[in-house]
Amino acid sequence: MLAIALTRAGSTAPWLIPSAALGTLLLVAALSRGGWGLGAALWLGGATYVAFVVAVENRIDAAAPLVAVLLLLCGELTAWSLDERWRIRADPSLSWRRGAAVASLAFAGLALAALVIALGAAPTSHGLILTVAGAVAAVGAAGTGIWVARS
Amino acid sequence: MSGLTAARLPAYAFFAASGLVAGLALGRVEPVALAAPFVLALVAAVAGREPHVTVRPSLDRERALEGDEATATIELFSEGGVDRLEVLIPLPQELSADGGTARALVLHADEERTIELTLRCERWGAFTLGPLLVRARDVLGLRSWEGMAGQAQPLRVYPREETLHSLVPALETQVFAGNQVSRVRGEGIEFADLREWQPGDRVRRVNWRATALRGALWVNEQYPERNTDVVLFLDTFAEVRVQGRSTNDRAVRAAATLAHGYLQRKDRVGLVGFGGVLSWLVPQSGTRQLYAIVDTLLASDIVQSYALRGVDVLPPRTLPPKALVLAITPLLDERTATALIDLRARGYDLIVIEVSPLELLAPEPSSPLELAHRLWRLSREALRWRYEQVGVPVVTWREDLPLAAPLEEVNAFRHLARPA
Repeated sequence: MLAIALTRAGSTAPWLIPSAALGTLLLVAALSRGGWGLGAALWLGGATYVAFVVAVENRIDAAAPLVAVLLLLCGELTAWSLDERWRIRADPSLSWRRGAAVASLAFAGLALAALVIALGAAPTSHGLILTVAGAVAAVGAAGTGIWVARS
Repeated sequence: MSGLTAARLPAYAFFAASGLVAGLALGRVEPVALAAPFVLALVAAVAGREPHVTVRPSLDRERALEGDEATATIELFSEGGVDRLEVLIPLPQELSADGGTARALVLHADEERTIELTLRCERWGAFTLGPLLVRARDVLGLRSWEGMAGQAQPLRVYPREETLHSLVPALETQVFAGNQVSRVRGEGIEFADLREWQPGDRVRRVNWRATALRGALWVNEQYPERNTDVVLFLDTFAEVRVQGRSTNDRAVRAAATLAHGYLQRKDRVGLVGFGGVLSWLVPQSGTRQLYAIVDTLLASDIVQSYALRGVDVLPPRTLPPKALVLAITPLLDERTATALIDLRARGYDLIVIEVSPLELLAPEPSSPLELAHRLWRLSREALRWRYEQVGVPVVTWREDLPLAAPLEEVNAFRHLARPA
């Protein structure tokens, strides 16, 4: 996913390569060191993509939902891989159920991200209401994260 | 149960918040699209509710022998169901389970499931299984709830006994009936001798054949069958333990074997645990005493102590007069050596069974430790010589020999030495 973005980046690719490489290294580290650095890897991957979009693309990038879902799958599959390292004799159905849940979450996330892109592409006025709604959503996500982290 | 969140969830929240803020700041929709699936994951995590799980562990037996298998059954029930339920039985090192002690399963709503674990009793001891560690997770593993559940289940693993064909008889018998032929003549079954009739002798004791030959009344004398008092003296001051092999384990096994053997002969058996923690059982006979001894042995452990301790601290009833004292010791602590010589000086019929630690500590050939090992062996030889000087037989029970071998050695020693 990052490779596609970098190939499309053209002359700005050298500026994006360090963060992309660091993100990849952190993902490998997360896999080998029990999840350490996973959040940073995802954040760097997302930041690299956003930097590419801002620097190169003048139009809305239709590949954004796919990038979002792939980033989510990176996180979920890494966590699943780490969970499987515990020596627990598990029902075989657990793996199928989790696989189905991850796939469902990915499809739902893809649909939601595609909806966001579609709404963003629609010619609507960029008024105060939408800005406030965006700010509330950002604060809500941050608050949810803090609540989840403290619970 | 206490709730926990996955380590990646705060990262997801930070990612989503960053995307939304970046979307606002840059005026682009792509960062918001990146955040959307992560927001969805957050919503999925927050929507999870704590499940209620009922856990009922049980064991098919409370007592087992070393090497036996016991089955632990765990019944699980949840009204609302659990996407992933993980159960862990914390086991002591002396027990092992086939396939590990952790299980993960799906528990549907109103479903009752049973887990069976086969536990192998590797070593003797008194254990408590449980409470169990239970963790319920949502299907994605974003949130989990952990806690302890179930009643603790006791399990006593008794040491496996050695096979003994004969025991060391005590030199002196007691006044109660038993299986051992007394050295003192009296009413009994075993023929002892002939003597001339004396007033008061019963007619049934007259040996008519001898009477006919000698022309005067002669009677038979018999040895009565009596019991003996045996005290098992277990040295728990120190042990040598290497890779799960320990002198104390073998000493306990020997003590349990001897207790069983002597109690089967209707003897009275007592126990003295002589070490950092002092324990004793007054000599008694019967099955109840066997269980009492074994239960005490299960609790016997090596406790580090610097206290100077002699046999004076023992209650007098634990060491009855004319008792046979079988000391089971690795001969590692000077306090035990002194106490045993003290016992011999008090006239007890003492036998020392040395549980040899030499095999456990054998150094590599041409190792610098070899000289130290040889000196240590010499000091042990000197200690054995001290015992022999006071008439105490010392037999060595090596790891590769059955317990019967040193006991036969004692019998041979007594047969030849004719101790007083």
